Amino acid sequence: MTSSDNSSAPSFYAISSSARQLFLLLRCISFAPKAQVQITKEGIRLSAEDSRVMQGLAFLDKSLFSTYNYIPPRKSSHQATNDAGDDLESDDDELDLPPFQISLPALLETLQIFGFSETKDRWSSRDSPYAGGMNGAFPRAGSAAAFDTRVLGMTGVCRLSYSGIGEPLCIILEESGVTTTCKLVTYSPEAPEEIPLRRDRLAQKIIMRSSWLHDAINELSSTSPTRLTITASPTAPYFMLSSSGPLGSATVEFSKDPKLLETFQVNRRSVNTYKYSLIRATTKAMAIASKVSIRCDEQGVLSLQFMIEVEGGGVSFVDFRFVPFLPEEADEEAPDDEGGEESEEYDEDE
Amino acid sequence: MTFLSSTLTPDSVNKVHDAIICLAKFSESVYIEAHRHELILSTINTSKSAHASFVLNGGRFFTRYRYSPGISRGRPATDADERPFACRIYNKALLSVFKGRISDPKEKDTAVEKCEIALEDRPDKAECRLVIRMICMHGVVKTYKLTYEPAEAMHALFDDNAVVNRWQIQSRLLREFIDYFGPKTEQLDMYKENGRVTFTSYTEKITDGKEILKQPLQTSVAIDTLEFEDFSVEERLHIAISVKDFKAIVMHADTISTSVSARYSLPSRPLQITYEGDGMLCKYTLMTIGDYRASSTTPAPALSADGRLLTRDGSRMASVPVGAHSASSMPPPQRPASHKYASESFTQRTPRPSPPPPKASLDPESLFVPQDEDAEWDDYQRVDQSEDVLGWDASGDHHGVAMHFSNDERGTNESSQNPPNDSSTMRIAPTQRLSEVRGLFD
Repeated sequence: MTSSDNSSAPSFYAISSSARQLFLLLRCISFAPKAQVQITKEGIRLSAEDSRVMQGLAFLDKSLFSTYNYIPPRKSSHQATNDAGDDLESDDDELDLPPFQISLPALLETLQIFGFSETKDRWSSRDSPYAGGMNGAFPRAGSAAAFDTRVLGMTGVCRLSYSGIGEPLCIILEESGVTTTCKLVTYSPEAPEEIPLRRDRLAQKIIMRSSWLHDAINELSSTSPTRLTITASPTAPYFMLSSSGPLGSATVEFSKDPKLLETFQVNRRSVNTYKYSLIRATTKAMAIASKVSIRCDEQGVLSLQFMIEVEGGGVSFVDFRFVPFLPEEADEEAPDDEGGEESEEYDEDE
Repeated sequence: MTFLSSTLTPDSVNKVHDAIICLAKFSESVYIEAHRHELILSTINTSKSAHASFVLNGGRFFTRYRYSPGISRGRPATDADERPFACRIYNKALLSVFKGRISDPKEKDTAVEKCEIALEDRPDKAECRLVIRMICMHGVVKTYKLTYEPAEAMHALFDDNAVVNRWQIQSRLLREFIDYFGPKTEQLDMYKENGRVTFTSYTEKITDGKEILKQPLQTSVAIDTLEFEDFSVEERLHIAISVKDFKAIVMHADTISTSVSARYSLPSRPLQITYEGDGMLCKYTLMTIGDYRASSTTPAPALSADGRLLTRDGSRMASVPVGAHSASSMPPPQRPASHKYASESFTQRTPRPSPPPPKASLDPESLFVPQDEDAEWDDYQRVDQSEDVLGWDASGDHHGVAMHFSNDERGTNESSQNPPNDSSTMRIAPTQRLSEVRGLFD
C-alpha cells in the first residue's frame, strides 16, 4: 500500500488503533439508519439526518488514525480511469471522492464486533439518565479488568479502506490474532443538503458543560413532552428549557453564572420550539461530551456542537442541527410531523 | 383561595422521595393534604385494604411551611373552608420530580440546594398547578408544574381503644427478615408462642380442577420476643397481612432506621404500623385476616382447634360484614359467610401435605378447644355487635368506632349494600360447638 501508483490501490486507506473511539463518536449520530460519508484530506465526515429537520455530523479527524492515506482522484492524471474521477468536473486539480451512504447500524456493529464487552456492560449499567459525562470517553485505568485487552496493550487494529464509487467500504479488525474483514455495501448519496446555520446572524451562543444540558433534557422528560422550547434572553431568565405534557409542565432555568454558562452571548430574546424526541436523540453525545456550544441563528435553526475528548487527549466534535417549529404553531398542539413543510419553508427563505 | 408555600432541604427532598416510592407500592396516585401545621401524603390501595400516610411536620420537616386555607371561594366562610386542602396527584409525576438526586456523586454540580413547593388554588385562575421548584447550584432552577385533581383525602380509622396486641422492634431487624420472604408469597402470618414470634410468609395452593393456579409456598422466620423493644401480644393469636405491604413498609422504615411499632386487636380488624423520624410520622393501616391454617388443609388432629379459628376466618374477606348476616339467620357456627367461604376453599384446594406445622401443632394441648370455649362465643358476639359494617367518614374524625377506611362518597353506597341489622335483638345464643358443625361442610 505504500505506492499510490498501484492502480488497484484504494483511494482511501486508514488505520486506527482503537475502533472504540470511532465507535463512540459514531454512536452519537446513530439516530438514523443511514449515514452519508464524505472522505476528505482532513478526515472522514459522517452525517445523518432525520426528516430533514435534524442533522447530525460526526467528523473523524485524521489525527484519530495512526495512518491516514487519502489519494484524491485527479482529473487529469494517470488515474483518470478511476471511476471516481470520470463524472466530476471541476477546475481544481484534485477532486474529493464523491460521498456515499452507508448503513449506520451495520457500521457500528462492525466496529464493535470484538465487543467492548467489559466496557459495554459498564455503559449499559451506566446508561441511565444520570450517567454523567465521563463514561466511556476517557481512559479509566482503575476500572479496567486485569486482563482487559487495553491494559495488556493488545488493542485491536482497525483498518478502513474504500476504493471508489460502487465499491464497498472495507473494514478489517484485528485483535489478539483474530482478523475480521467486513465489507459494507455503500449506497448512492442523497441530496447532501445541509441545514443552513447563519453564522453571521447568530441570535445566541452559549457554551456550557454538556452534562448540565444532559441533566436538563432528562429533567424535562418527566412530563413526556413532544416539544421542547428553548428561550434565551439577555435578561433573566437567561437561558431556559421548557416542555409540557399531560402530567404538567417542567422548566429548567440557567442563570448567567460564568461557572455555569461559560459563554453567554445573547443579543435579544429568542424563543424557539423544537421536537423533543429529536433533541433527545442527541443524549448519547451529551453523555460523553465535555462541553456543548448551543447556537441559534435568527431564524431559529439550532446548532448543538459537542466537544468530545477522546482517549489520548485529542478533541473531536459532533454537530447537530435542528429546524424549529414555525413560531405561529408553537402554541398549538399540532401533530409532530410538520417538519417537512418547515424545512421547505426554510429553503425558500434561503 | 388556598395558598401553600413551603421549603425543603435536600435531605428532606430525599425523604419525600423515599416516601413516595413507598406510596407507589400501594397505589398509583398520592393524596396531598395540607393542614395548618403539617402536610400529609397518603394513599389507599385499590382494594381499600391498606392505607399509608406520611405526616410531614411543618416545623421540623420543612425549613419553612405556610398554609392558609381557602376563605374566599365566592361564598361565605363555612365549615368546609376549615377543612384541609386535599388533592390527588399521579404518583409517577411526583416520582420523576423527586427522583434520586443526591445519590449520584457525579451530579454534585447540579445538586439541589433547596426545594420549594407551592400551591395556589384560586377560583379566578383556571390553571391550578402544584409548583415544585428545585433550586440547584450555580443558579439552575428546575420548575415543575404538576396537574392535580381536587379530591377528598381518605383517612383510615383505627380504634386505639381496641388495641390489645402491640410490639415494637428496630426496623433493621425487620429488614433482615423480609429478605427471607419469598417474592411470590402473598400473606404474612404473625404468631407468638412460648416466647418466640414466628413470621410466616405463605401462599396457599389454589387449583381450578386439575390446573394448579398457585403453588403453595411458605417461609417462616422465628425470633425471640426479647429482640423486640416492646412486646405484648396474645399467645397463639394468628394474624395475617399482605407480605407486599409489609415489605414496602419495612423497606421505607429502614431508610430512616427507627423503631417500628405495630398495634392490633383481632384478625379481620385493622392493624396499624407506625414509626417516626425527622419530623415525619409514618402510619399504615392494614386490614388483617385470620389464621390461614384454618381454612387450608391442616391435618385432621388439629381439627377442633382449627374449627375455632375457622369461624374467624369467615370474616377473612375483610370488607364483608359478616356480623350482620350471622345474627339473623342461623345458629352462630353456621354463619353463611364462613360456610360459603369454607366450602369454597375446601373444594378448590386439594389436600396437600401440610408444611411442617409450627410449634403450635406439635403441642397436643393446642389441638383441643380450650375449656373456656364459651368465652370464645362471647367474643364473637362482641365482634358482631361492634358493627363490622363498613362506614365511611371523611370528616377525619378519628374517634369513630372500630375500623375501616372512610370516605363520604362511598359511605352511602357501601352501607346500603350491607344494611346493619339490629343484631343485638335478633341474636340467638350459640347452641352448637364448632367442632360438631364442621362435618357439614367438610
